[in-house]
Amino acid sequence: MNQLNNALTLFFSLLVEALPFLIIGVLFSSALLLFVDERKLIAVVPKQAFLAALAGSLIGFLFPVCECGNVPVARRLITQGAPSAMAIGFLLAAPVVNPVVFWATWIAFRDQPEIVFLRIGGSLLIATIIGYVFSTQADLRPMLQPTVARAMLLPRRSGQAKLGRPELAPLLQSGTFFLGQSEQPIQLDALGAAVVNPDLARPIPERLRLMLDNVVQELRELGGILVIGSAIAAIVQTSIPREVILGLGQGPVTSILAMMILAVVVSICSTVDAFFALSFAAVFTTGSLLAFLVLGPMVDLKNIALLLTVFRGRAIFYLFALAGQLTFLLALLINFYVS
Amino acid sequence: MNASFRPFKGFSRLQWLLDMAAILAWGWLLVQYWLNGKMNLLLHPNYIWLAYSAGFFLLALGAIKLLQSLRRSRPPAEQLQHMALFPSGLSSLILLATALFGLQFTPQPFASEMALNRGVGETLTLTRSQPQAFRAAIKPESRSLTDWIKTLNVYPEPDAYTGQKVSVEGFTIHLPNLPESHLGIARFVITCCAADAYPVGLPVKLPDGDRTAYPPDKWFRVEGEMITETLDNRRQLVIQAKSLTDIPTPKNPYAS
Repeated sequence: MNQLNNALTLFFSLLVEALPFLIIGVLFSSALLLFVDERKLIAVVPKQAFLAALAGSLIGFLFPVCECGNVPVARRLITQGAPSAMAIGFLLAAPVVNPVVFWATWIAFRDQPEIVFLRIGGSLLIATIIGYVFSTQADLRPMLQPTVARAMLLPRRSGQAKLGRPELAPLLQSGTFFLGQSEQPIQLDALGAAVVNPDLARPIPERLRLMLDNVVQELRELGGILVIGSAIAAIVQTSIPREVILGLGQGPVTSILAMMILAVVVSICSTVDAFFALSFAAVFTTGSLLAFLVLGPMVDLKNIALLLTVFRGRAIFYLFALAGQLTFLLALLINFYVS
Repeated sequence: MNASFRPFKGFSRLQWLLDMAAILAWGWLLVQYWLNGKMNLLLHPNYIWLAYSAGFFLLALGAIKLLQSLRRSRPPAEQLQHMALFPSGLSSLILLATALFGLQFTPQPFASEMALNRGVGETLTLTRSQPQAFRAAIKPESRSLTDWIKTLNVYPEPDAYTGQKVSVEGFTIHLPNLPESHLGIARFVITCCAADAYPVGLPVKLPDGDRTAYPPDKWFRVEGEMITETLDNRRQLVIQAKSLTDIPTPKNPYAS
């Protein structure tokens, strides 16, 4: 009975600590969805692949979203012609390299500030490397879902029609066109504008209303996952014998593998995962905590569903395999040489 | 049913109701935990404001959405596209059920059972979060239990403290590796929330040599002086108690 009460106390303590950060993350991500034009960013990103990957990884500081908010943003970046290195760098790093996550991790690990900086630095490094690797694939389209690949070329006319814009026959518009490439003529100079964030055209009151709708929707989806994640943490903490956890958590390799698997399975949002990891801080090695904090936002079960809206399975496999291996290496280095 | 609900059909109306109920219940839960002090058992005092602010935000969000629905005759026609692990209705249901349960639930401060499970210690192991604050100038008798542990962490030689006066508060814990004449006096330290609570404590040599008079989990103020003893095959700092005074469980039982 006592054990049950301890587990529930742990469960609710995780929830009440994490919920404010989830709300902040969701508010930011909803505001971005409706108020920010990513095209301006793409215009200033360097062309050189490594720098583009680094710039993409750092953009998270302007887009404080967790991994659930960043996939739609990454999708828009891709469709608006962002270099693949930048888009991939952003996709992997933005959930960690941003002020909200920095703050949450700082609060959770204020006694171990090295974890905060290693988390940000490690994520930046891994995202930049993977972004650079993906830059060898200059044309991302074979890796994208057909709908996204098509959106890179074709205007989403149906979407614009809903916004009340007059639907002109394509050739009545001025400009340069490709003919015969697909069913519709493609307007060369309008490719960027064609896939602009459609919500930016709405009037402000409507955007605010949509923002609140989005807040409710994201809170519901991510809140549900947070509850499940907190329950798993509480159960593991109180029901598995301490010797088993200690045995697993103190091994330099087993602890990393265990935390990596946990990160993928639990799918907890990056704005709150630091609190989840904190409950393991007493018994798990620093490297394994870092592995959890770096890998979780890049790769998890929930992400697979999200990423499948953008990429084909093969690309997701590459992303996950690279992220997993690099995280493992990084965590191993920390366990052997730093902590 | 209210006329304004009529156009909400089937599942979307249920979904909407579940969402509103979950948001309002969570808002109320956070505010209620703050008002009745339950939050003290869950969070470090520094972060309680974050939790109740979130509560007020959720209540306001719920109120705004309710007002909007009264003005508008249909649910939002275009939802921004989302993907999730499980169906949204299930997600709302989980949130609502958790909040309703939370409203009934009274958290208990962690006690000796949890301390034994987590391993009470006078030193902080390598992987444990390591408090950085250290006040050396403090008088020995005004050091709290956590101050003693921090001091020991910096300079662990027990002989350095022999004869110093002690007055510390904590809960009792019957450590199995101590003789019957000794007990542990312990506290949980939290840096963020109850999830990272870890116990710290020192062995106490009782004046009457019998710990059965001091059941586990009772709070005491222990006064006495420091001695060095070999317990459990290890030389360690022990409190030679002169008196143990019953004290009520503090409102905020965790040390920080």
